[in-house]
Amino acid sequence: MSDIGIKLIYWDRVFEAGFWILVTLFFYYLALRIQRALGGTPLANPVLLAAAPIIGLLVAADIWVGDYMGGGQALLWLLGPATVGIAVPLYRNFTRVRSALLPMAAALVIGSTVAVISAIVIGEAMGASVETIRSLAPKSVTTPIAMGIAGEIGGYPSLAAAFVILTGIVGAVFGAAFFRLLHIRDERAKGFAMGIAAHGIGTARAFQESEVQGTFSGVAMALNGIVTALVLPLLWLAFG
Amino acid sequence: MRLAGQLFLAFLLLAACDTAGRLVSWWLGLPVPGTVIGILFLLGGLVAIRRVPEAVGRVADFLLAHLNFLYIPAGVGVMSYAALLAEDLWPILVALFASTFLAMLAAGFAFMAVARLTEKRSRGE
Repeated sequence: MSDIGIKLIYWDRVFEAGFWILVTLFFYYLALRIQRALGGTPLANPVLLAAAPIIGLLVAADIWVGDYMGGGQALLWLLGPATVGIAVPLYRNFTRVRSALLPMAAALVIGSTVAVISAIVIGEAMGASVETIRSLAPKSVTTPIAMGIAGEIGGYPSLAAAFVILTGIVGAVFGAAFFRLLHIRDERAKGFAMGIAAHGIGTARAFQESEVQGTFSGVAMALNGIVTALVLPLLWLAFG
Repeated sequence: MRLAGQLFLAFLLLAACDTAGRLVSWWLGLPVPGTVIGILFLLGGLVAIRRVPEAVGRVADFLLAHLNFLYIPAGVGVMSYAALLAEDLWPILVALFASTFLAMLAAGFAFMAVARLTEKRSRGE
């Protein structure tokens, strides 16, 4: 084994990662086309529409998901800088956000509590295992925080990550229908509720709806992450 | 060419804010995720110069418009837990739907109720 061998392995990985990023880009493009053809409906969620055929492809070709994740990690890393970008619409809508501090505080406290407690109560009532319930509890906050919380309270971090993604998809797909059903018409309230319940994937949908909705969703996602990380482990100590 | 350079610099700025936020969160052992601190760094910078540089605005808008793309790998990753999910399929499905609905209901109504109280008062004055 010379350093040439090491270099070959290195380039292999880069090409493989690049290949899977291109595959992801292709299915994302298709998903957007489908969503546009259906009039931009939230039911045609791009994450769902693109991830499902990629999963099918990996299963059909018997490819280990870890191979795909070489490229996936690069995209997940990009989520950081993209999320930081929320500062821009936040700055543009600063007066609007600042004038809604009290409604946001109320929605944050009540919404994050309901998101956690309802998941635990429903899970218990329907006889889910303790590990499932503990992994389910932080489902409404962004992935890295949820994984940390699940580990702290005795759930599986990786299972929690899966719940987070599924929750985000449910929120993004059905949020608009829920708001219609509940007669919630205030764009700020819609965005904030979306961010509380369905974190980043909900926020991605909210930005598709309007900048105001996206901004309030982004703010709610950030605040909910902080509050849940602080409160849930304490809640667990008190009642768990 | 010059625009491409500016867009690249703008992206580096976002990535730098993110990385700086993560480092600060890690150094100080804060329960706040680093990216959230990164948002505050960028927001602080924008407030300081009192405007959004065009390239920064364009990069941020572009990334936020395609946030869904960046979540696809996480969606694919769910397949690794298919067996674990199948064990408690019904409780999981019901909890995901009902709890998301209830959280939106609670947050949305709380927001609107307090907004109605505070905004009516400020209009009345």
